[in-house]
Amino acid sequence: MLPGLAPGGARAAEGDELTFQYGQYQEDERDLVDAKSDYDPIRADTLLFHQRLTPADRWRLDLTYMQDTWSGATPVTTAPLVLGGNHPTSPDGVSGATPLVEGDLFLDGNLQPVAVNEFGEVVATDPRLVHTMSSASPETRMQGQFELGYDWSGVELDFGAGLSYEDDYESRFASAGASWELDQSRTSFDLVLRFADNETQALLDPDAVPYIDTRAYQGEIDVSGSGERTLDDDRQDWSAALGATQILSKNARVESSVAYARSRGYLANPYKVVEVGFIDPAQQFLAPPGGYYAQVRALLEKRPSLRSLWTWDTRFVQYVEPFGASLHLGYRLYHDDWGIDAHTLEASWAQPLGAGWTAIPRVRYYSQSEADFYAPYLISDQAFVSVVSDPDTGEIISVTPYDPALLPSSYSSDQRLSGFGALSGGLTLVKQFARGVRLEADFEYYAHRGDLRLGGGGEADYADWDSYRFSASVTLDANALQAFGYRSTSGRDGHGDHRAHAGERAPAGVLLAHMLPDAGQFGLGYRYVLGRQAGDLLHGASSVSDAQVIALGCEGDPCSTAPRRMDMQMHMLEWMYAPTDWLNVMLMAQFVDMKMDVQPLAGPMPDLHGAHDHSTGGPGDTLGFLLFELAETETQSLHFGLGISAPTGDVGEKQRRTHQEDVGYVHYGMQLGSGTWDLLPSLTWTGSLDRFQLGGQVSGARRLESENRSGYALGDAFQVTAWAGYSPLDWLSVSLRGVYSMQGELRGEYDGLHADSGPMDFPDNYGGQYWDVGLGLSAVLPDGYLAGNRFAVEWLEPVHDDANGYQLERTGTLFVNWSVDF
Amino acid sequence: MEWRDIARGATCALALATAATAGERQAPDCSLRAVDDSRRWELREMRGRVVWVDFWASWCGSCAEAVPFLNDLEREFGAQGFAVLGINLDEEPRDALEFLARHPADFAQAADADGLCPRSFGVETMPAAYLIDRRGVIRHVHAGFRPGEAAGLRARVAELVAESQREGR
Amino acid sequence: MKAASRALLILLLAAGASGCAEVAPWERGRLAKAHMALEPCPEIRALREHTYLSREASSGAKPGAGGGCGCY
Repeated sequence: MLPGLAPGGARAAEGDELTFQYGQYQEDERDLVDAKSDYDPIRADTLLFHQRLTPADRWRLDLTYMQDTWSGATPVTTAPLVLGGNHPTSPDGVSGATPLVEGDLFLDGNLQPVAVNEFGEVVATDPRLVHTMSSASPETRMQGQFELGYDWSGVELDFGAGLSYEDDYESRFASAGASWELDQSRTSFDLVLRFADNETQALLDPDAVPYIDTRAYQGEIDVSGSGERTLDDDRQDWSAALGATQILSKNARVESSVAYARSRGYLANPYKVVEVGFIDPAQQFLAPPGGYYAQVRALLEKRPSLRSLWTWDTRFVQYVEPFGASLHLGYRLYHDDWGIDAHTLEASWAQPLGAGWTAIPRVRYYSQSEADFYAPYLISDQAFVSVVSDPDTGEIISVTPYDPALLPSSYSSDQRLSGFGALSGGLTLVKQFARGVRLEADFEYYAHRGDLRLGGGGEADYADWDSYRFSASVTLDANALQAFGYRSTSGRDGHGDHRAHAGERAPAGVLLAHMLPDAGQFGLGYRYVLGRQAGDLLHGASSVSDAQVIALGCEGDPCSTAPRRMDMQMHMLEWMYAPTDWLNVMLMAQFVDMKMDVQPLAGPMPDLHGAHDHSTGGPGDTLGFLLFELAETETQSLHFGLGISAPTGDVGEKQRRTHQEDVGYVHYGMQLGSGTWDLLPSLTWTGSLDRFQLGGQVSGARRLESENRSGYALGDAFQVTAWAGYSPLDWLSVSLRGVYSMQGELRGEYDGLHADSGPMDFPDNYGGQYWDVGLGLSAVLPDGYLAGNRFAVEWLEPVHDDANGYQLERTGTLFVNWSVDF
Repeated sequence: MEWRDIARGATCALALATAATAGERQAPDCSLRAVDDSRRWELREMRGRVVWVDFWASWCGSCAEAVPFLNDLEREFGAQGFAVLGINLDEEPRDALEFLARHPADFAQAADADGLCPRSFGVETMPAAYLIDRRGVIRHVHAGFRPGEAAGLRARVAELVAESQREGR
Repeated sequence: MKAASRALLILLLAAGASGCAEVAPWERGRLAKAHMALEPCPEIRALREHTYLSREASSGAKPGAGGGCGCY
């Protein structure tokens, strides 16, 4: 089952389906009152693939892959405003606010925070709170899962498992379910059992960890040789859900389900702390008259190691005749033993608009009460550390840390556990094409407000924030996936015109090789590219030593780091349409993620803090093409392509602050697009004779702007490639390919603060000439269930690099391609 | 939650169960109207041929999957005294015509929006197929349609077509 | 919670006893419409639930689904 679906009624779509979906989530800035933060608010880009197959009667296989890349600032804790937790690092505020988690807090007789002036006089009581923000570098999470189901008439059993992976957290989960239809399918029951085994391996922020008391989880924290602290702990979750769906009339159905879940283990967030003000009796001479003085220290948040929760969901849908529309209502009740009770109320209206369009506006109200152990900050009537020294000699006799038993057994200032309400509204638009293709777009605005909590008493408005979310998807169902073919008992091949287009067999790494043969056809394709660099650093064509890179790689100043490994993954979705026999229009969307592992160079002054790995991810540039057929015969085809690249890929990705310093823009090679409008001409020739295919392509990229919005531009590019293929079987081909690519130098440079510690930070070290040889396999399924679908895979092996400046050598590129015409 | 409802539900279930397990059952008669409203006839007029009666609707996915199979049956056995009769149960005749435009059917199509015919047959699923021999007896009821079942169904049709021809009339 | 569980029981029993004379198998045309599914756009719902899960405490009984420690 897809994450987030309630049991019962989830199998709305019968039969095969393939979906590609992109989503973007963006929060707005938190209110930090008088501090200005240069941090970007939280943003997430998500990519989702889902494929449902019915490989044989009664069997169903669902495959889902999901990937999100998160970046931006989150609250690390909450503190009284007077403490000044969001502290500008320089008078001109050029770098963002740095979280300060320690300080001196002055309180009045009622333990309310007060602001004092430089003479120690109380100016005013100020109970206001504020989030202390800290940023995170972009992180990518990947998740894959499958579910297999078997349907006897009326009873279905299914089993699924999956894995979610990100740098600091790994989750392995499995589920088993049974679904039972009775009464001619008017009633159905669902039971789902789930289990997850999760592990956290969180590197505690090296800048902040000296200021954080980690005693609550001392046993789970490992300290590495260089002093880094990692919290390593695990957690298990179990759940069971039972649901029933009932048809109430020709026009209405209802579903209700109850679920219970239990979690055990490390249930806290390793990146969040709670500010505790320690009132040391021996230090009260510093207190304002009638009040108190507290030393504020940050403690890692501590949550119970067990959690049980119950939910009850009900959903109802009613057809509304005069409009031909349907009203959907849903309510969920949530209760757990941490003291959180939550209500969710959702209403939406699905209105068909004709011509395959449906509009679905919706509204949602959510309210939760706070956890029993939630506290924005704590006051403790004890010293953080009591030092007893000999009054005569001044020697220290004993040092006694605070007594954890005097603090609550659990405490957290995590906003997720506070009391609040949220109101959100959204609109989904669906367009269903007769050919079995469905497009969906969705937009939602979400407002998190303490004062929307049911019954009042929610968190004050310092904690309010807004966000919006947008997503778009394309789904192909069975009609489209099976291209021209269909299942027939007489074995008649409904495959239609089956010319062995050589373009269909082109290697996976060649774009634009195939044109749709007939007017009115559509094509959809997905391509995955994995490009890897690792090993030596090259200058021109030869490897160089670290010493050489240090001396010459960074345009004057010595380099202190160099990349050791870089992986680039691209997911490309191609959509084609043939308005005439000789013209094709194509749109290509890309989702990119990069990961670079940087190590210090071995030299006289090794930068031990230089080792890090970075990742960036998000949508790349969007490309549009016109393909013109110049010549077409039974055996050959020549076509010209004119393309435009729109700079939708971010070129302003930044690294988070490390070691009290802002680093600014991330390395040039880690940005997600070119940032400029580019022209992409190409000329492709393909030919076939008997079982042999030949092909060639010349293509280029010409930047139409001299600099992008970050101040630089990629060089122009040019590529020539030629390949030969042989089909040992009608439907299978093997190919051998040669490629020459030229990438021009990077022009200009970043217009703001950017990393400058290694060759990857300098424009001179980009571009060059590259020669590769590729070996590929491609298949066009001739009949059966997926007739007409094309699959191809290719490995490109570098044979010679002539790199500008100092670059990491390439170890190869993998291409995987799937496409279908319909 | 009244006893009356529970009793009605139980009786209904019992009746259906009985019908499904009954032995020889004569196919009920139905008044049929062609799906494009061009003519009317009675089901009993088709006696003498082996008839595959297929109750379907435009909104049912398996019904679309069955069309090529039924076309194949009509083509293979049509000359041997066999006929496929599709009975459409859409409330809106327009939906049926749109479906047939997308999935052309090479066999007779009738429509029964009032639901009298499926009720007398005791239809429990969509699609529901009733294989009727030349004497008008229902010999096989098939619920739903999956492509893997096509071969087995075709064999049953072949058997009935051959059987009656051997025995004469 | 007691009132809630009693209501649920009544709902389930009422659902089971509504009788089969009400909606015949061929009268499901309306119910079969795409927008009449309890969740017409499951993938969009999955994405929405994923973001709510990271910002609200009541993730509700789906361990592992959506993954991540929500550490953002």
